[in-house]
Amino acid sequence: MKRREFLARTGAGLLSLSPALSRLPEWGSGGPWLMIPMDDAQAEHLKAYGVAYRLLERGGRAEWLLNYRNGSFLMPGDSVTERDAALAGVTVEPMDDGQVVQIRGQIQQENMDAVPLEKAPKVAVYAPPNAPPWDDAVTMALNYAGIKFEKVWDAEVLGSKLKLYDWLHLHHEDFTGQYSKFFLNYAGSSWLVDMVERNRAMARSLGYPSVPAEKRAVAVAIAQYVERGGFLFAMCTATESLDLALAADGVDIAAAYADGTPMDPDASARMHWNEALAFHNAQLELSPTVPVYSDIDGHQVNSPDRRQPLGSFTLFNFSAKIDPVATMLVQNHRQVIPDFYGLTTSFTRKTLKPSSTILADEPGAPWVKYIHGEHGQGTWTFFGGHDPEDPQHQIGDPPTDLSLHPHSPGYRLILNNVLFPAAKKKELKT
Amino acid sequence: MVASVMLCAAGSAQQESMSRAFELERRGNYAAAAEAYRLILATKPGDVAALLGLERALLPISRSPQILPQVRAALVASPTNPAIYGVALRAWAADEAPDSMRAVALRWARIAPGDESPYREWGAAALSRRDRAGAREAYALGRERLGRADALAGEMAQLAVADSDFVTALREWLPAVRRLPGYRVTAVATLAQAPQDIRSDLLKSLDQQDDDFTARRLKAELQVRWGDPLSGVKTLEPALPAEKSKAIEALRGLLDQLRSQRSREALLAQGRILEAIASRMPDQQGPRLRLEAAQAYSAAGDRDAARRMLAGLADDSSAPGSVSSGAAMTLIGVLIDEGKLDEASRRLAGVRAGVDAEDYADLERRIVLGWVRAGDLARADSALAGDSTVEAFALAGKIRLYRGDIRGAIERLKAAGPFAGDRADATHRTMLLALLQPIETDSLPELGHAMLLLEQGDSTRATSELEKVAAGLPPEKGGAELRLLAGRLAAATGKSEDAERLFRAAAVKDAGAAAPAAELALAQLLLARGRQNEAVAQLEHLILTYPESALVPQARRALDQARGAVPKT
Repeated sequence: MKRREFLARTGAGLLSLSPALSRLPEWGSGGPWLMIPMDDAQAEHLKAYGVAYRLLERGGRAEWLLNYRNGSFLMPGDSVTERDAALAGVTVEPMDDGQVVQIRGQIQQENMDAVPLEKAPKVAVYAPPNAPPWDDAVTMALNYAGIKFEKVWDAEVLGSKLKLYDWLHLHHEDFTGQYSKFFLNYAGSSWLVDMVERNRAMARSLGYPSVPAEKRAVAVAIAQYVERGGFLFAMCTATESLDLALAADGVDIAAAYADGTPMDPDASARMHWNEALAFHNAQLELSPTVPVYSDIDGHQVNSPDRRQPLGSFTLFNFSAKIDPVATMLVQNHRQVIPDFYGLTTSFTRKTLKPSSTILADEPGAPWVKYIHGEHGQGTWTFFGGHDPEDPQHQIGDPPTDLSLHPHSPGYRLILNNVLFPAAKKKELKT
Repeated sequence: MVASVMLCAAGSAQQESMSRAFELERRGNYAAAAEAYRLILATKPGDVAALLGLERALLPISRSPQILPQVRAALVASPTNPAIYGVALRAWAADEAPDSMRAVALRWARIAPGDESPYREWGAAALSRRDRAGAREAYALGRERLGRADALAGEMAQLAVADSDFVTALREWLPAVRRLPGYRVTAVATLAQAPQDIRSDLLKSLDQQDDDFTARRLKAELQVRWGDPLSGVKTLEPALPAEKSKAIEALRGLLDQLRSQRSREALLAQGRILEAIASRMPDQQGPRLRLEAAQAYSAAGDRDAARRMLAGLADDSSAPGSVSSGAAMTLIGVLIDEGKLDEASRRLAGVRAGVDAEDYADLERRIVLGWVRAGDLARADSALAGDSTVEAFALAGKIRLYRGDIRGAIERLKAAGPFAGDRADATHRTMLLALLQPIETDSLPELGHAMLLLEQGDSTRATSELEKVAAGLPPEKGGAELRLLAGRLAAATGKSEDAERLFRAAAVKDAGAAAPAAELALAQLLLARGRQNEAVAQLEHLILTYPESALVPQARRALDQARGAVPKT
């Protein structure tokens, strides 16, 4: 489905939900409604997404009230949802028809919109079978909210299994095949040895001459998935390395330890940026010992002489009725959010393609934090940094316990992305 | 004169070139830095600083083999400089030229006969390419040419560890440590990684080294690392050399390995080592070590050993003040633990002037508690009579409870307030108040007896007595609270089925706050027994039935953990 069609269908959906015109038949008992407020009245912001998701999973429907009380959810009152919310500690407010009509009136008059949520998206998380010594913010958010997902890795991606999923998440992955450039600095660490062995074995089993060659094939398959209508959400290194891998068509960007040949010293000039999703004109890091890929990342956390301090990023305010997609992605109860490092923390403005939509940036800084764009019939969203509630996550640190951060605005952005495909009625073309 | 000026100018230019090259390297412009170093080497091929700089600059840009022309020139210009041979070995390693590595190492060995360095550097260069076989060949050839069985033993040992061959590693570490004792720490650290199933074989092979102190010491430290500290001490003690300073150094080494361990065995081992060190120390340093040993023994529960250490120390007027008062307090603590309360009281009265008032009062209350535990409540009451502190009120409340005086106990526990004792004491007091307040009877000697049994450490009898008392009380009037406590005791003593029965009996609708607490305890018990689904259902029931309970957040967290939604902590 093209974005134009999506907007048209969304509009049609809104008409059908408008109480002045009609009521969806399955909601038609006239009984009370349930509002899940997403402003500061909410006791469990993150689990609220799980309650909405599970309602869709049960075949129910809901509305996402964009910009109304920071992106609240409206749904028909039913005992199962109430029970689910009570168990999760999610604040719900019972509403009668009169209150709902009043809310709809306010939505029509202000920069707000109501988007119907129709289908629980099938979620896949790209992750190696072993457990690396760092956490994955999205996996933690999904587990905490109680949203089901399946894990996929290279064999599934290259085996065309992505067509089974609506939403794909990538996290701390290195699609340049250089093991996050930890190969030299962490030589001998058991987790690195394991990672190298697994990746080499996978590349061999799939018939590729090297890990970088195999990872590029995976990156291309992921781009094709988006092109066919998939939703891609990437964080941390996966953002930058995916685009570098895509643009490195016929260019050796991997160090000798990864593929046996040194990196092409003229790689930056020879990249095919038209094949990348979000970035262009980046300068690649030539040193294999510096765990930095390029100047796409603004913060360069692992390069002591280039490292930039953390600030805060600000979410953009979009027109809900004209641009509901971007509006959905930035629903939050905080507009300014403390920044957090990752191997790729941010994206420099100079390397952004003009087609990339900025969802959040650090005002005055040469970098942005959160971007979105279209590719073919699908969309991609890139969010820099590793863990929104652990600003300086180190290798080996324990995973973040989200029950200590139930209001995390950074994690809310991740969950906006999970629910966003629910708003879109679509079938993947294969 | 002109010539000397020209020489100065040339030297200055050389210096400037080096500074520029170094600056380029520092800024990360490795390609330009490499060129700058090359320029210097073109005029001065034997300049080791420039050659090392070139090596550093080429590494990050994966161009290490490109140093070879400069290396060849440097070897011609300065054929006896060992640093150049080291660079040469690494350069040929990067060029993956094992024959050239071998040739240059042997050339170096010819100009430095008897030196291990050529072979060590050759092996290290091979290892930098992950070529363990090449490294092994280098070390083996070195050992053969040098004609010493212990040559390059440390290197061989580390290679064996990398291959997880701990038997060979141990065989190599022994001569390495004998030659260079500084290797001992690395040897122990690497051998400590040996898997469980071969550890006893490794220890046996150390036993076969007759009368070898190095082997005994290595064995002792490995035993400590592998969680058997007392055996470690037993191994080391008979092997200690007569020379006191060497013996103390070995004992302190073992003590350092034990410092972070708090198990009973580790504390006992610490006591024995401190005792052994004290016996070898000059008179003026002995008492403090004996006191430390006594404290370690006391913490481990070995009262006889603690008393032996303290003998004479508490009454020793020549010992430093802090040592003698510390010894006296430790001794009184030991006496209280042994139940020798009269002697403890007498000694405490004797040291009143020399100890801190708070420490004194603490020991006084420990004596009172000692009388309580001995079942002599009258003696406990009289010992407490003169004390009007809040801590004394808390203790008096407990004594009232053990007498069965429920009202009196509640009054005194309330009067103690929230700040008496430490946090654990305060929590315990709150728990007692929660237990007693729903009970409407003023006097309940059976409950007092059950609680006294608990104080005396007889959990089994306390559990059954509590259950009997609970049977006579309605759930909302203390019956549920007592069943909950009995259930917790049963769970703590491993009687899971009794605990489950008692928790279920306490989790009745009209039991007030005890009901959600019993449901939570039941869910935790079910989780511990692997009955995940039942636990989840129980937690869900708790949350939905008692939404106002203060335990709901804890139940939600347990539910999250049971479902794997948050990491287990």
